[in-house]
Amino acid sequence: MSTATSETVDAQADAAVEAEEKKQGTVARLWSQHYDLVILPAIIVVGLALLFLYISTQQLDSIEQRVLEPANVLGLLRQHLVLAAVSTILVLVIAVPVGIMLSRRWARRLQGPVLAVGGFAQALPPFGVLLLMAFAFSFGPTTAVVGLTLAALLPVLRNTVIGLQQVDQSLIEAARGMGMSARQTLFRVEVPLAVPVIVAGLRVALVLNVGTATLASYIGAGGLGELVQQALRLNRINVLLVAGGIIAAVALLIDWLAGVAERVVVSRSG
Amino acid sequence: MNYLDYLTSNSEQILFLTQAHFLVVLIAVGVGSAISVALGLAVSTGEPDPPRFSLDWFAAGVREGGLVFTAALLTVPSLALYALFLPFTGLGVTTAIVVLVIYTLYTVLRNTVAGLTTVDRAVLESARGLGYGRLRRLLTIQLPLAWPVILNGIRVTTLISISIAVVGAVVQGPGLGILLINGISRIGAANSFYQVLTGTLFCLVVAAVFEIFFAIVQRLTIPRGIRV
Amino acid sequence: MSETTDQPVVETPHGAGKPDMIVLEGVEKIYPGSTQPAVSELDLAIPQGEIVMLIGPSGCGKTTTLKMINRLIEPTSGRILLDGKDVTHVNGDQLRREIGYVIQQGGLFPHFSIADNIGVVPKMLGWDKQRIRERADELLHLVGLEPSTFRDRYPRQLSGGQQQRVGVARALAADPPVMLMDEPFGAIDPITRERLQEEFLDIQRTVGKTIAFVTHDLQEAVKLGDKIAVFATGRLEQYADPDTVLTRPANDFVSDFVGGGAAVRRLSLVELAHLELHPVETDEAGTSGATGQGTAAGSRNGVAVAEVDGSGRPVSWRHLPDRDAAGTPLVTVPISGSVYDAVDVMLDGCASLVAVVDEEGRAQGVLHWNDLVGGLRTRQGHA
Repeated sequence: MSTATSETVDAQADAAVEAEEKKQGTVARLWSQHYDLVILPAIIVVGLALLFLYISTQQLDSIEQRVLEPANVLGLLRQHLVLAAVSTILVLVIAVPVGIMLSRRWARRLQGPVLAVGGFAQALPPFGVLLLMAFAFSFGPTTAVVGLTLAALLPVLRNTVIGLQQVDQSLIEAARGMGMSARQTLFRVEVPLAVPVIVAGLRVALVLNVGTATLASYIGAGGLGELVQQALRLNRINVLLVAGGIIAAVALLIDWLAGVAERVVVSRSG
Repeated sequence: MNYLDYLTSNSEQILFLTQAHFLVVLIAVGVGSAISVALGLAVSTGEPDPPRFSLDWFAAGVREGGLVFTAALLTVPSLALYALFLPFTGLGVTTAIVVLVIYTLYTVLRNTVAGLTTVDRAVLESARGLGYGRLRRLLTIQLPLAWPVILNGIRVTTLISISIAVVGAVVQGPGLGILLINGISRIGAANSFYQVLTGTLFCLVVAAVFEIFFAIVQRLTIPRGIRV
Repeated sequence: MSETTDQPVVETPHGAGKPDMIVLEGVEKIYPGSTQPAVSELDLAIPQGEIVMLIGPSGCGKTTTLKMINRLIEPTSGRILLDGKDVTHVNGDQLRREIGYVIQQGGLFPHFSIADNIGVVPKMLGWDKQRIRERADELLHLVGLEPSTFRDRYPRQLSGGQQQRVGVARALAADPPVMLMDEPFGAIDPITRERLQEEFLDIQRTVGKTIAFVTHDLQEAVKLGDKIAVFATGRLEQYADPDTVLTRPANDFVSDFVGGGAAVRRLSLVELAHLELHPVETDEAGTSGATGQGTAAGSRNGVAVAEVDGSGRPVSWRHLPDRDAAGTPLVTVPISGSVYDAVDVMLDGCASLVAVVDEEGRAQGVLHWNDLVGGLRTRQGHA
């Protein structure tokens, strides 16, 4: 038995203990930083559980049963998510580049008006925009996507412009001072620094679109709003409650997912 | 029939619905703001990091919880809230207002909390040093200094409420949404497009009236020393 | 006063004659969640009408000590006496209305006019409007701001220095016997700060308050303080008049804190008015031709001669006893200044002597560089 061996063993043991501590440390740290993320899903689960508990005590008539059939609800949910997802992607593809363009020196003069109009346009009802599209085109999902995109465009554009405005001017000057071209500065300094804002914009767009998509059923594009419409048409309170509960849960869950994504991106970009 | 003809021949109905829309938003925002500002004042704490289990500590807890909760409410689509409240508050104006009040809470509460907590520490400390008690500090120093921020929150929430109030027509709430629902259900019929167009555009008219209203309120209520 | 009979109040060796206005007895502060006291077992007595400067490195407890006097921070244990009255447990808000308080950033209420800011405490004390208004004008006048110009302005319309003057006026409003000042001139530019310090001393000469004054600037402490209390991590290391702190630091901490520049700083304690200066004679510029250069030098017998302009202000040296007058620049220092100012002027002007002038700018005497190392020391008693 040489002392060297036992030292090696000790060292290995130490390393193992250290690694274990580190691992626990990471978990504990993640928990202490992000425990609040558990709250919302918990509320959603409890809320939905209460709702289904209530419904299970009710005698559902045949109409109610038909409307609340899982296949029907899931089909509408799928339509809803497709509407929201497609329109959100479209909003980002349009609003972010335009926002970046507006942050260029030659377009700065347009920023003020865009921000002012964007602020005021919050009062322009998405419902109205959606319905007007039905007159311009026809009933159906494509029209709904166009309407949703238009309705969310200005708020997201506004967010992007503000986000890029907030990038520290001295960093931009430093980048230019090191000899970066305007293009390099934009893509290597300004945009990375504005990523948190763009992600926040994505979240805003998503929440808006999930909300407005509930109204797409009024122009025959389906979605979970259909449940509410049917409940109102059939005058069935149980259906109304279930529909409201499901829509609220879906919206909260999507916002929560976007919030988690936002945190991941923000923590990565420092 | 062109659009102007439509407007003139239906001016009475349009004016009535615009007024109703304005009033519904005004009442909802008024009630919601009163609740939020009162709550914000009640849960304001003297210290940013109060000791455990003190009264301030619970207040801070209520404040953070309230913000998270009202923020979550804001992400719930309005149609869902109208649907959830309808069985309890019935078809009509009550449901329309209750839902709007709920949407008002977060923005005003957030701005109240932010406004009260961002008051210059030096000002608060000197107020304490001169013998201002807590309530006096809150009402004569913090609230007036936070007022521009609070008022801006009320303004923003009003603009948002105008567009949400439109959906209230689904539960037979009063306002311009009625034109939208009528128009879309009669699509293809005479003037259906004009109805939807009017319902949408006149929201901007309501918004403009509110903007003027807020400009006046700002002028009258923001103390001269901190007016920009 | 019953308090003084149960237990002898800490008698400071320097407070001879004057009763103590502020007394801290065994005061201790331990912040929640901390084991180390921020201030431990502090005994401190401030005599009536004196300015005591609390100084020390950051985190030494000087600000905590100040804020315990008006109970913005509640002491963990110990007693605080104000004018012989135990105020450790009285209502804090009431207490603070009777103590002036000035802080670094001014802390003026931005939504109150200047007059309203000054009237804050009188209003709480229930003075009538007319009296508050008169008091505000009187105080604005005292701090050198024209009432008719400033009373209706708002804080943001004032410069930092003006705001700080209003801060002082506000603290004086209800004529409290005691004032607490927390680095009041800390955020002001050096030139304005110096002027404010001068004005502050002038005001103090009229009002004669008992003042506890926190600073981190030794220069300021030496200039303003009747006494200096040097703090280190919650303990009082030395409490004495500025000269003693500078020349006989109580321990290594104080001497380190006072630093190598102590001898130089002491110069600011010595006022020029108290020195015996070398005599100076003056010639008006026009008369230069009449007096022969050589004979003048002889007859003047080692006295410096300055050439003055029409209003009697010296402009250049005509004759100096031990050197070439033409090659020596003439610099002046006001007699109200200190030896420190004189040295500053000499170094700045590359001159080995300086003409000390009165308020009208007329030469009163001459101070030589050599006096600093030779003659000054013997006359120290005058300062």
